[in-house]
Amino acid sequence: MTGYVMQRLVLMLVTLLAIITLTFFLMHAVPGGPFVSDKMMAPEIQAAINAKYHLDDPVWLQYLNYLKGIASFDLGPSFKYAGMSVNEIIAEGLPTTLKVGVLALICVVSLGVPLGIVAALNRNRWPDTLVMVVATIGVAVPSYVIATVALYLFALRLGWVPTFGLDDWRGYFLPVFALSGFWISFIARLARSSLLETLQQDYMITAKAKGLKPGQILFKHGLRNSLIPVVTVLGPVVANLITGSFVIEQIFALPGIGRHFVLSITNRDYTAIMGITIFYAAVLMVMIFIVDMLYLVLDPRIKYREAR
Amino acid sequence: MTAPLLSVSDLRTSFFTSRGEVQAVRGVSFELRPGEILGIVGESGSGKSITCMSLLGLLKSNGRVIGGSALFEGQDLLTLDDRDLRRLRGDEIGMIFQDPMTSLNPTLTVGEQVIETILRHRRISRAAARQRAIELFELVRIPSAAKRLRSYPHEFSGGMRQRVMIAIALSCDPKLLIADEPTTALDVTIQRQVLALLKELQSRLGMAVILITHDLGVIAETADRVLVMYGGMVMEEAPVRRIFARPSHPYTRGLLASIPDLRDGAHQRLTPIPGSPPDMRHPPAGCPFAPRCTHAMAQCANVLPPVYDVEPGHGSRCWLHHPEAPRVEGVNDRELA
Amino acid sequence: MTDSPVAPQMWEPAARVAGAAEQIAAPSLTYWQDVRQRLWRNRTAMAGLVFIILLVIAAIFGPMVSPHTYYDQDLKLANIPPAFQLYEVTDGSGETTRFFFNSGNLNIYEVTDDGRIAGLIRGKKDLIKKQTLFTFGDVEVTLHTPTQTLTRGDGVVLAPGQWQWNMSNVFGTDQLGRDVLARQLYGARISLTVAFVATLVNFFIGVFYGGISGYLGGRIDTLMMRIVEVIATIPLTLYVILIMVVFNSGFFSVIIAIGSVYWVDMARIVRGQILTLKQQDYVAAARTMGASTGRILTRHLLPNSIGPILVALTMLIPSAIFIESFMSFIGLGVTPPEASWGTLTSEAVETLRAYPYQMFFPAAAISLTMFAFNFLGDGLRDALDPRLRT
Repeated sequence: MTGYVMQRLVLMLVTLLAIITLTFFLMHAVPGGPFVSDKMMAPEIQAAINAKYHLDDPVWLQYLNYLKGIASFDLGPSFKYAGMSVNEIIAEGLPTTLKVGVLALICVVSLGVPLGIVAALNRNRWPDTLVMVVATIGVAVPSYVIATVALYLFALRLGWVPTFGLDDWRGYFLPVFALSGFWISFIARLARSSLLETLQQDYMITAKAKGLKPGQILFKHGLRNSLIPVVTVLGPVVANLITGSFVIEQIFALPGIGRHFVLSITNRDYTAIMGITIFYAAVLMVMIFIVDMLYLVLDPRIKYREAR
Repeated sequence: MTAPLLSVSDLRTSFFTSRGEVQAVRGVSFELRPGEILGIVGESGSGKSITCMSLLGLLKSNGRVIGGSALFEGQDLLTLDDRDLRRLRGDEIGMIFQDPMTSLNPTLTVGEQVIETILRHRRISRAAARQRAIELFELVRIPSAAKRLRSYPHEFSGGMRQRVMIAIALSCDPKLLIADEPTTALDVTIQRQVLALLKELQSRLGMAVILITHDLGVIAETADRVLVMYGGMVMEEAPVRRIFARPSHPYTRGLLASIPDLRDGAHQRLTPIPGSPPDMRHPPAGCPFAPRCTHAMAQCANVLPPVYDVEPGHGSRCWLHHPEAPRVEGVNDRELA
Repeated sequence: MTDSPVAPQMWEPAARVAGAAEQIAAPSLTYWQDVRQRLWRNRTAMAGLVFIILLVIAAIFGPMVSPHTYYDQDLKLANIPPAFQLYEVTDGSGETTRFFFNSGNLNIYEVTDDGRIAGLIRGKKDLIKKQTLFTFGDVEVTLHTPTQTLTRGDGVVLAPGQWQWNMSNVFGTDQLGRDVLARQLYGARISLTVAFVATLVNFFIGVFYGGISGYLGGRIDTLMMRIVEVIATIPLTLYVILIMVVFNSGFFSVIIAIGSVYWVDMARIVRGQILTLKQQDYVAAARTMGASTGRILTRHLLPNSIGPILVALTMLIPSAIFIESFMSFIGLGVTPPEASWGTLTSEAVETLRAYPYQMFFPAAAISLTMFAFNFLGDGLRDALDPRLRT
């Protein structure tokens, strides 16, 4: 048990280190420097900036310094916004991104799973067909298309919700919907096929032969086992909600981290790109770790398998 | 003779697939007395498992019982409503399945899987149910029973899992135990142990057992009476000694010829039955075994034979038992004499 | 049992057809015949396949036969809709002018009899009265801007007539006056090329990596799979973005970025297949007959792994299309004037308020393509799944 947890923790830290390293060297592989695109600077100013940001140190030293910074949760200064640190940029955008992201995640789980169950239990009848048609649309239509079409329809045409911002509670509807649409559909499909497969298992017949009530059979024997694959994809779900937020925050003009990230890309603000990427990766790693632990609770076979 | 515990007559079950109706069981009748072990033997696809699944209402969703009756202590299992049938399952009738690797839920402790069965059918506390589970584990000889309750199925060997399955099936002292190929998936040595355990428990607890198998050796060791099934029908029914001493149906004779009998010495030849079982979407009009039967006559291919009583308690579904039929050595040669 | 009489000839031995007992009723099919049959019968998968084929043909030949190019701008004819309602004005000399009113930019365009756009009709703007004056021969028409009504000189309000499809620009024009259909076809070219090439690159990397890992086995395999595990937990879209930042936007950068990142699943599938197949007897047989490692890999292992690989490929193509459009959408994809479905969508978003219909074509194109590939992939997977064989 503890062995498994430790193993996961170590893997998580290794992955995080790999991400930091990869990100750092990728950003330092950009031809020229971070200030190249600016208008011609006096050499002395250039030198002053380089000294200030330690840009004239050898790369490995910069890398070590950067690692040291991350160890103390300091992602360094922004190159584009004088006097603003990457930490501050993240802190500024975090509440918005978190609110929308968590709501979306809640929607994914609380809508996707039940829809999949309903579909599986009504296999080849109308609720199944309905869920599958909607879910197929949800999986195939890109989130930014859903977002813009919804924006046009509900905000511009019908005026039910504001077109941008989160000042009004109704403002959450469209971003959350657009962000979670794909994954609600994906989880619904996954939960459906997983439950259908579980229902085929021999132990479901055993449960029936034991005289258990249908509700007991479904919830105790069916759902628990069929939810394992669903839990497995929760890691990727979070990764995708993160990347999804780039376009969603842009379309709905939400001041979140995703918007800052896209802005720092267009501004070529390399430290910000680097810092936000690493921040995202860290969030994701923590999420994957939580999923692993959930998995451990749901599937006792894991302990056994990993212990060998 | 005591009243039968279970009396099945003319049971018919079909599966409705995209490629048409599969007539898996076509008019099966038999009786089972309390405390009796009935062996049902046949190749895969002969309808033996489906017969039992039909009795307990455990058919897959595309399967349906389309006729017949199955009286269990005076109630017809086939017309019983779902709730009453659920009360019977696991309580009065226990069931064991072929593959102990897959018939236990991998994510629940084995203890929980026993206890939930007891709690479903008995109004007792959880602690009492747990105590009962420990007794059951001791009964089926699982060592350090109390500790093993907390284990998961993957921590058990195949034989041990089958013991858990038996414990579950016996948890409410059933009057009838249906064992569907209980030893097929196990190693030979383990097979022996599990069979011996089943037989011992049967005599100790006095329940009736339906033992489904394709292994005549298992039947010889365990059963009192035997049904031989083929093509969804009972081909021959007889006490176990008669089946081995004087098999009457050509199919039964074929089955017996295809297994080695060590008592006969080393020089015998094993004779396989040529061909494969009929396609049950289009079952033959006549005897289902006719296409593979060495004695097949024009009559066999066209008309389904009735069950002839070779002797009281020994029936055989074959035209060769018709008084006018040609004599065949071993099948009907003594009937004239 | 009553013995009903049986005709004597019925006791004759049954006529035997040689081998009849061995006959199996259903015709047996080889695996691939079976797969093909099942795929063929899957209507949505076939519809997807047909759509993809048509799309590829349109993407290859469309831009060649189109009278417009994807980069030619005509600012005078910007934001023309694909269909419009006609107005008619007849002047004193009996000459009739057909035109339509574009409510998005408040312009009036003359239309020929066969529905082509003849050009912009210039009027005199009067900013104080908020109206524009157009002259057709001796007839004057006033456009009142706030209400968007057209009034003839004699005070009669002009009513819009029948709908006319735009015959010069079938899908209309964009904000720079470029033909949307031409850009759409060109966008299909870019999107599909990026998707196919990137998928192919992923395929080769994945097969190579997974093949080596699975074939060599042992400690190397463990190490290689640990690396894969690490890569799989990295949010790959972020890395596509970072690579795009390093290489700058552009067609080839997109291919490199997408192509180098999504091979992990492929590697896993190939490795898994090879591990199972390695234990098969025919590989051992080939080995004892002295076949080389490379020969065994290409001749024996890969043909047998093709099923799951095929499914993974069909599923990777729509993801590649999606990632490319996603990149273009946030401004990291192909560079203007080149067009992909992503850039077309993001351009349409800019004009969403005034010309919402401009969103329709790129959104429909990408959604339908995603549908088609998803359906085909689902169908393939179902068809290849041996558990579904009956």
